[in-house]
Amino acid sequence: MNVKINEDWLAVIIAFGLMILAMVGVIAPSWMKF
Amino acid sequence: MTTAKAPAKAQQTNYAGFLAGLAIVVILAFIARWLKIQIYGVSLPLGIPGRALEYPLWAAIVGLILNWILKTANVYDAVKSGFRTELFLKVGLVLLGTTISFRTIVTAAAGAIIQALILVTCVYFFCWWLSGKYGLPDTLRAVMSTAIAICGVSAAIAAAGSVLAKKEEITYITALVIITALPLMVIAPLLAGAMGLPEPIAGAWFGGNVDTTAAVVGAGTMYGKTAQQIASIVKQTQNALIGVVAFLLALYFSVVVEGKKERPSAAVIWQRFPKFVLGFIVASLLFTFGWIAKDPGAAITAMKDWAFCLAFVCMGLELSVGQIKKMGWNPIIVYLIVTVFNTVLALIVAWAIFGWLFPAKL
Repeated sequence: MNVKINEDWLAVIIAFGLMILAMVGVIAPSWMKF
Repeated sequence: MTTAKAPAKAQQTNYAGFLAGLAIVVILAFIARWLKIQIYGVSLPLGIPGRALEYPLWAAIVGLILNWILKTANVYDAVKSGFRTELFLKVGLVLLGTTISFRTIVTAAAGAIIQALILVTCVYFFCWWLSGKYGLPDTLRAVMSTAIAICGVSAAIAAAGSVLAKKEEITYITALVIITALPLMVIAPLLAGAMGLPEPIAGAWFGGNVDTTAAVVGAGTMYGKTAQQIASIVKQTQNALIGVVAFLLALYFSVVVEGKKERPSAAVIWQRFPKFVLGFIVASLLFTFGWIAKDPGAAITAMKDWAFCLAFVCMGLELSVGQIKKMGWNPIIVYLIVTVFNTVLALIVAWAIFGWLFPAKL
């Protein structure tokens, strides 16, 4: 099955996924230092 | 058996190419970050401080270099599916929402709506008129006018869908957008610095005059944090008009140019609306209500910078000059004249709105 998702919604899903990971402490600021 | 295996093999190759392209983008982002760190504390010739050369510039440069290498080695097409400028940019913009209070968005958006209405209308019709004087085809005029007036690549694609433009017209305008946006991303902050523009006005100016959202964010990043925030809000407000312009264009081409009786549906306004803007607003609400603590906030801010860096690398990687040679000089002349017009008008309007009418306080 080939599911197509709008790029805008995909970006929102990825961004909120990353936010949740940061908020529960899985992604620490020290790893991400830019 | 062979025919069933062939598409499966092609799909595997697609995935491999996508992953290879993605890996290239990530490695280049690390290189860009490394270059930024090396240059940051150094004083460069002509007294330019190293910190003035922020990561968007390095990311675009390493992207451009690898673009040339991949094309020379004839492997560009195999890996280009991993170059996702728009996706990385949109992820970064949603994450940026967590650093801006909703009040700021509302204040800046009020000014941004007025600025967008003035700029989009004036720039669109100036470009439409000028490109007519130069004898460009109507479809190219529509795609070019929308690209300059609203937001470059995505607007060009939306307009092309409405007016049924040729594929080469889209790739041509896309190339022109990136070629002019890359230098503008560097020149605009330098000019703003020379004029001593406060960050909110500079941000509003970048948002109004630089053609593609990635370059707008890049210019804002190079000028300062506030400039990055205001530039992003202004550009996203302008982007939100894509749907309206796409609908009006579809209506004009269907009824006036093609003489059809049936009219396109207004549903296109929602279809073309950039939905990630909703994610940006929700992210800002999370920040405004204090639901993002200090440490996660720092991690999210850093991820935002990574996402933008990936987008800037892709912008360099996606530049294509091949199409430009095919179309001749007239579209280039029109595009450059309108870009200058847009730049001057955006400066005046940004100054009037963000310096006087709605001064943004962050």
